[in-house]
Amino acid sequence: MIKKFFNMLNQPLGRIGVFIVALVVLSGVVWGIAQAQKPPEQPIQFPHNLHVRLGIQCLYCHPGALRGPSPGIPTETKCWGCHRQIAIQGTELPKLAAYVKNNQPIDWVPVAQVPDFVHFVHRPHIAAGLNCEDCHGDVSNMTVYQNPQVINMGWCLNCHRAKTENNPQNNPTSDPAVAAKLEALRVKLTDCSTCHY
Amino acid sequence: MPKELQSPMDSANPAQDVQGIWGMTIDQDLCTGCQACVAACSMENNVPFVGEVDAGYGRSMQWIRIERFWQGSYPNIKATPYQPVMCQNCHNAPCEPVCPVFASVHSASEDLNLQVYNRCVGTRYCANNCPYQARVFNWRDYMDPRQRPELVTLSNHWNPDVTVRRRGIMEKCTFCIQRIRHAEDTAASENRDIRDGEVVPACAQACPASAITFGRINDPATKVSQAADTSRGSHLLEELGTIPHVTYLAGGA
Repeated sequence: MIKKFFNMLNQPLGRIGVFIVALVVLSGVVWGIAQAQKPPEQPIQFPHNLHVRLGIQCLYCHPGALRGPSPGIPTETKCWGCHRQIAIQGTELPKLAAYVKNNQPIDWVPVAQVPDFVHFVHRPHIAAGLNCEDCHGDVSNMTVYQNPQVINMGWCLNCHRAKTENNPQNNPTSDPAVAAKLEALRVKLTDCSTCHY
Repeated sequence: MPKELQSPMDSANPAQDVQGIWGMTIDQDLCTGCQACVAACSMENNVPFVGEVDAGYGRSMQWIRIERFWQGSYPNIKATPYQPVMCQNCHNAPCEPVCPVFASVHSASEDLNLQVYNRCVGTRYCANNCPYQARVFNWRDYMDPRQRPELVTLSNHWNPDVTVRRRGIMEKCTFCIQRIRHAEDTAASENRDIRDGEVVPACAQACPASAITFGRINDPATKVSQAADTSRGSHLLEELGTIPHVTYLAGGA
């Protein structure tokens, strides 16, 4: 039975069949990978670049980043605070006006996310002097936000190690006290419990 | 308490000077066995309510439990003081060397035992090796309302600061590490050290008798190290040499 099947596959038509099946599977894999790399569909194609160029601070719309774990994504009322005074034109602003009129929340899809078992808190990173663009990329050139890199543990740890390395950048005067502090911070920042609890 | 039973500072580890070692004292003379700590712990740390059937199998999940023993034989019974038992965060933890996937690891900076949920594969070796029986295992997806509709009433209180554990994962008391981290972040952003008493775990916060004290045990100025450093202090199963970070206080001054 199985021998007959392989004989069938050895025929010219069978080989073409195998080729087509392999092609379908391969293109499915490629399509799947490509889909996973694409940013998710947002309800409004929010132009970050325009807002940044107008001089609006990141923290105006994402205020939680300063004091809390999550920066927050603005509600329709926050958008409307400015946009009620601006002409409703183009393709995206009428969508916002509709959300406000129906008193509906905008179901933004968060993009820069970590899994549930990771507890990322913005506050210590801002307290350590990081700027938004160090992790989130140059938002002034993005319309809909995309992560500039894959957010995974290796990327987190690379930065935690680089910022605590005893090198001229972190310890310009080669002070042994600073070196000891950096070493202590390094142990702490590469500890599992820093993020996983 | 003899000095050799106190948690030693790791001289090769400079981080512990900076971070400190967290510890706890439980005054058994004050404890009334009211179980407020048990309820508070479950609420704070997303410990699921397993239901009647699983509890019958001995699968109840609590990170802290009130132990009580009886001495003598009936009718001459003498009850021992109530004894809240949670993970003792041992310095030499028996749970750690047996984990095949390094999910049960030691925090180098704070001398705490950690359970890394995303590494855990549920072999349960750690729980079998824990002399205090402080570890509990998720036998089901208790948080999934589709699987356990009868338990859904308690599914709306999840604490976002703590991971909601899945089936097949071992868990234990973390000394409310989310509160430690919160206090550390606050202190760091205000450019100061953590004050004594700033970190209060859920059990200590809920205790109406204030029997639980928490703080840095390597700092002689803290309330917890002063309470532990008296003749009233003792550790559970001291003879095993696990060097726990929880000190039980009982008896005279």
